[in-house]
Amino acid sequence: MPIQINHGVKGKEYPPYTVTIERGRIKDFARAIGDQNPFYLDDKVGAASEFGDVIAPPTFPITFKDETADSNAFLKELGTDISRILHGEQEFELHRPLRPGETLLCRPRIADVYEKSGKSGAMAFVVRETAVTDKAGELVATLRGVTVVRL
Amino acid sequence: MKYGKVYAEDVTVGQALPDLVKGPIQQIQLTRYAGASGDFNPIHQDDEFARAAGMGGVFGHGMLTMGFVAQCVTDWAGAGSVRKLGVRFAGLVRLKDTVTCKGRVVSKSSSSDGMHLVELELSAENQKGDKVITGKATVALPSRER
Repeated sequence: MPIQINHGVKGKEYPPYTVTIERGRIKDFARAIGDQNPFYLDDKVGAASEFGDVIAPPTFPITFKDETADSNAFLKELGTDISRILHGEQEFELHRPLRPGETLLCRPRIADVYEKSGKSGAMAFVVRETAVTDKAGELVATLRGVTVVRL
Repeated sequence: MKYGKVYAEDVTVGQALPDLVKGPIQQIQLTRYAGASGDFNPIHQDDEFARAAGMGGVFGHGMLTMGFVAQCVTDWAGAGSVRKLGVRFAGLVRLKDTVTCKGRVVSKSSSSDGMHLVELELSAENQKGDKVITGKATVALPSRER
């Protein structure tokens, strides 16, 4: 049963939210990947490093979620549900390493929505961009994710 | 060399990064990654759900495989060196799969802050040689002269 995607979300900006980077979360994240890098896991190595503390792995910003938002609500607004979505692409621009204790502001928007037919049938592509700034208002990271919806 | 620092002078275009081999993928790693990342999509946990969704069973989070690819880069270039990392998820990673991450230097240039920007071409493949990720990264490497 094919579904209709709500193209009206294109260009929509979602409410900004803050995240605070937790030391334990960085370590859990690195260990879940099986990455034993001491610059992520060892506080002493971090303190003695040029960064002054442990830092987050490159893909860690994927954990920056709005805890107050219901992700199912977005999928519903889009006209789909979790069983139909796949992660198509992901990009991180990282302007500097991120450390524990930092509070960051995330501003998500839907940059694009388009449809294409591929070898596995019709699909919609939803491009979500999130700009992440620090307390000084400096851009520290930009996330760009493409969600594929099987129509 | 692992976790070591690479200097821009030591990098040549065409050079291969050491391969990083991960897996075999077990369900517990997907469960652990769900907890650590906050992505609890049952398609990565519940075989029945994944089959009903037409996916033929559980498969790994794309972001977990991207984490492997990031590790391949930082094991070589050093933690904190990644300025940009972008991938396309080209295939599914299944339970028991082994994932081999590969990288190659495609260009090298100077940056205004005295660092050198090195562009990498990246991929990850399963034990059958099927690509599960293709991607690119930019890393900033220091110069020996500083």
